[in-house]
Amino acid sequence: MSKSEKKVTSKDEDKKKSDEKAIGDAIIAAANARREELAKEALATRSNKTLPKVVKEKPKEEKPKESKPKEEKPKESKPKEEKPKAAPPSKTDTEEESLPEFEKSFVDKISSQFTGDVEVGYIKENRTRVNVKKEKILEVAQFIKDNLPFDHAESVTGVDFPEDKEIGVVYHLGSYTDPTYSKQVLALATRVPREENPNPGNDSTKLPSLRDMFYSVEFHEREVFEMLGVYFESHPDNRRLLLPEDWADLPPLRKDFRNKGR
Amino acid sequence: MAEQVIPTKKMPPGLQVENVDDRIMTLNVGPQHPGSGHMRIIVKIDGDYIVDADPDPGYVHRGEEKMAESRNYITNIPHLERPVIHDSCNILYPYVLGVEDLVGIEVPERAKYVRVIAAELNRCIYIQYWLAIYGIFLGHSTMFMWPAGDRELLIDLMEKITGARVTHAYFIPGGVRNDVPANFEDVCLRQVNYFEKRIKEYADIFYDNPILKARTEDTGVLSREDAIRLGTTGSVLRASGVDYDLRIKEPYDVYDELDVHTNVLKSGDSYARSKIPWLDMLESCNIIRQALEKMPKSGSIRTKLKPNPKGREDEVYRRVESGRGSAGCHIISRGKPEPYRLKLSVSSFRNLIALPYLLKGEKLGNMPAVYWSLNYWPVEADR
Amino acid sequence: MSVIAPKFRLGYFLKGIFDNAFWILTIVTLAGIPAIQIVLFYLELPVIDGELLTAFLAFTWLFNPTMQVPLIKALIYSDLFRIVAFPGFGFAALIAAGTIFVERKMLAKLQLRVGPFYCGKVEGILQLAGDGLKLISKEIIIPAKADKPLFWAAPVLFVGTAAAFVALIPVAPGGWVVADLDVGLLAVFAVIGFFPIITILSAWSANSKFPFIGGIRALHQMVSFEIPLILSLLGVVILTGTLNLSEIVESQSSFPWIIFMPIGAIVFFTTMLAELERIPFDLPEAESEIVAGWLTEFSGMMYGLVQLGSYLKLYAFAALFVIIFLGGWTGPVFWPPLETELITEGIPIPNYAGDPILTVNAPGLPLLDQDPNEWVLQQQGELQYTSGQLLVSGVIWFVLKTVGVIFFILLPRGVFPRIRLDMLLHIGWYKLIGLSFVNIFIALGLVYAGVIGPGGIL
Repeated sequence: MSKSEKKVTSKDEDKKKSDEKAIGDAIIAAANARREELAKEALATRSNKTLPKVVKEKPKEEKPKESKPKEEKPKESKPKEEKPKAAPPSKTDTEEESLPEFEKSFVDKISSQFTGDVEVGYIKENRTRVNVKKEKILEVAQFIKDNLPFDHAESVTGVDFPEDKEIGVVYHLGSYTDPTYSKQVLALATRVPREENPNPGNDSTKLPSLRDMFYSVEFHEREVFEMLGVYFESHPDNRRLLLPEDWADLPPLRKDFRNKGR
Repeated sequence: MAEQVIPTKKMPPGLQVENVDDRIMTLNVGPQHPGSGHMRIIVKIDGDYIVDADPDPGYVHRGEEKMAESRNYITNIPHLERPVIHDSCNILYPYVLGVEDLVGIEVPERAKYVRVIAAELNRCIYIQYWLAIYGIFLGHSTMFMWPAGDRELLIDLMEKITGARVTHAYFIPGGVRNDVPANFEDVCLRQVNYFEKRIKEYADIFYDNPILKARTEDTGVLSREDAIRLGTTGSVLRASGVDYDLRIKEPYDVYDELDVHTNVLKSGDSYARSKIPWLDMLESCNIIRQALEKMPKSGSIRTKLKPNPKGREDEVYRRVESGRGSAGCHIISRGKPEPYRLKLSVSSFRNLIALPYLLKGEKLGNMPAVYWSLNYWPVEADR
Repeated sequence: MSVIAPKFRLGYFLKGIFDNAFWILTIVTLAGIPAIQIVLFYLELPVIDGELLTAFLAFTWLFNPTMQVPLIKALIYSDLFRIVAFPGFGFAALIAAGTIFVERKMLAKLQLRVGPFYCGKVEGILQLAGDGLKLISKEIIIPAKADKPLFWAAPVLFVGTAAAFVALIPVAPGGWVVADLDVGLLAVFAVIGFFPIITILSAWSANSKFPFIGGIRALHQMVSFEIPLILSLLGVVILTGTLNLSEIVESQSSFPWIIFMPIGAIVFFTTMLAELERIPFDLPEAESEIVAGWLTEFSGMMYGLVQLGSYLKLYAFAALFVIIFLGGWTGPVFWPPLETELITEGIPIPNYAGDPILTVNAPGLPLLDQDPNEWVLQQQGELQYTSGQLLVSGVIWFVLKTVGVIFFILLPRGVFPRIRLDMLLHIGWYKLIGLSFVNIFIALGLVYAGVIGPGGIL
């Protein structure tokens, strides 16, 4: 390093400092602008990027796509699923319809009340599932709350079905008060439409909140909202729960949100 | 519909929130706070009274559920126990049971007993850790050191069984990973008997302490109806007088062959909520002794699985009673080696909803007592 | 390429040194030496061996072996020694250091662990020194919006007030106290009254939420517990009729007041724990609720000073308990009377025939010299104990009793959880004040029944 260079640098230091300050401010401003932009548009761009992958996968997953409705429809899936927990699967395939009586009785109550709107997902020992149309979920939940001893929701699971363009929401209801129902877990499932470019809270992915029937779903629904973008109407605070406040990306549990490094 | 179902608790006179906005101070309790754990509670206080509390979990969110979707049923095991490493057997239990249902394999009798022993030991390990923190939250430093020290006994025991001190990854679909050592029955019985003798001494210094009783009784009272409505679980629920223990109500593995008693207290205050886990530990010692007696002395401990097993197209929801309460695992399978969707319905997350309800109208000094008596583990709630 | 001082030039360096030397010399000659002379003019210097001690003479005698003992004795009886070393700050700090060590080890034994172990080879005895070094070497961080002068002043004021409290404590008979006031007990109350002010000032000046809550809590706690504290000591004042702490101790030469005033002692002990913020009452520093209370923003040696002050305070309170209820330094005198010759000329060791063969000069003994006149008086039977005897045995009794009280102050930390603010105030305002009134009525009853007091039975 020569002396002349040193001198030049020392002379330019002041200029550089001021320049650096200006540049730093500019960078910060740009970063802020970019961040806002990201918050607005990242959703769309991100999903556009990942869209082709989904499209690619679609033909591959045609079989599961066909089989999925099967699973939902009661008649087809019943013989497969009614067996006891520990029994090996080969045994049950041969067995004919021997649905557990108790479970069938209260599921029939629901399905007879709402014929057409409710279909029975499956009836297994201690585990039952009813699939409800999105519009009827409040009424069915109110019916279950009033007429059956299910008094709390254990969990709310959101499942993404990109090939059906739907998002499933499963409420697992349990009972503390009635000892005869203490083994039972009723899965109250519904589907909401799914949008390719989600805008959580402002798109059609909406569902009425069950918080007034089952108070315990409050935090679970907040989690489903942030993880899958299902907005729950009439929920008192649809804020983020686990994700950071400045999360400006796809809801992470959707299938088109890719794990980094995977 | 807009009407709130749970009524807000009766506040002391003159503490209506809308009138005293200028007196309210907002405290960020956490995440860098000795009394919070890995979470934040935004507390609004008016004088010494908490008028509003808003839990803000998520500081240790790891996306376990998302990770599980890209790993197969076996490689999911080590990371699914990470939410509660102190209770790693119990948090893994529902997943393993669910995968066994999906893959369709049976578990040998001896493995079931080994699982029950390991799960109960792990429950004690977790509760000791929880109790230690409860002690130091109340300013009782001896109650911090004693459980932390006695916990080592059982950790050593688990190390003998599984080879790891804390993160065991011991349960696998089809049984357990490896057999117990040769003289395990004697060692386990001796350690558990000594452990039981030690934890009975906690009553003298902690649970019968007049200051502790005066401080935690009648604070943070959760009535039976509210406990049910809020969907709380485990020790919180049983402290409020609801007799609901999945080991009895929905026995898994060999719990139906053992004589399991559940502990229920009526009062529903912080004291009862802190006493239930301690009673659970005593009960766990009984269960371990019974299981050691009934365990087949030899036999297989694992059914061999095919490599990269595929679950059938189905969904299962299994739950077990963990150290904190019901731990549920909802697996949706589509006939692939990986689960299509895996949801952990953990008790900490379910009990968290009671926190803002209980803290409202409580004094600031009661905050740690109420908060930690919920048997809450922040990492588990975040998953 | 980087050098530590890139613009280093030897000329500038030398110039800097000469500049410094010049200014230092100038300031010392113009200001320092006159100041020393003024101080020396007003200082009351002792007369040793018939010669007035001057600074010049002191330096001369320091290197004269025969004059060293008289010089040190003169130093011991000076006020400076009392303030800095024996009944004052140094003695209290030594006991405070011992308290910290005992607290750590005792608590560790109680909690089935080892405690400090490695530092200092023997049971971690140098751990405290290590911690002190660490605190000194740490950076002092001050919150950006703190009120800086107040924030800086608070730890210093805290230590200063604690030291003032220590100064009021008499340790041995014969005026071994820094400030022997006739209103000693009132002065103690006045000094205690400063602590909540310092606490709330530091909490307010930190401009942070948790210190503020801690400071408010400390204020509540200290103010509400000062009233039972004062009331519980009034019983003893009624019985003795004096506020001078030395006279209160001397009134207990045959029995300590705790025999008649157990209720007062219990109330005072409880309020003491609250004033000291020890564990059942450590609300101002409640860790799990308000981080570290009013100490949250202190860092480095500021925190160290507050800790030092609080342990000085602990010693002073324990000593006050000993003075008022346990009889201070009173106790059997076990120190033998020493002849003047033994001290000045050494202890002769005789052989079997009784002939002295050698003399032993114990190095510390000459300092414990007593007045030759007292020795003579004792031989004549007019004086029971010489002042040297009383000093040695009195200090030992005092320290033993104080350590015992300190032990009982430390013990609850391993046994009790923290209590709540409303419970604390309830205890302070309802129970302790009531009990202290009961105590006062007992004292009045004893006086009017003629048991104790002027013309009483005892």
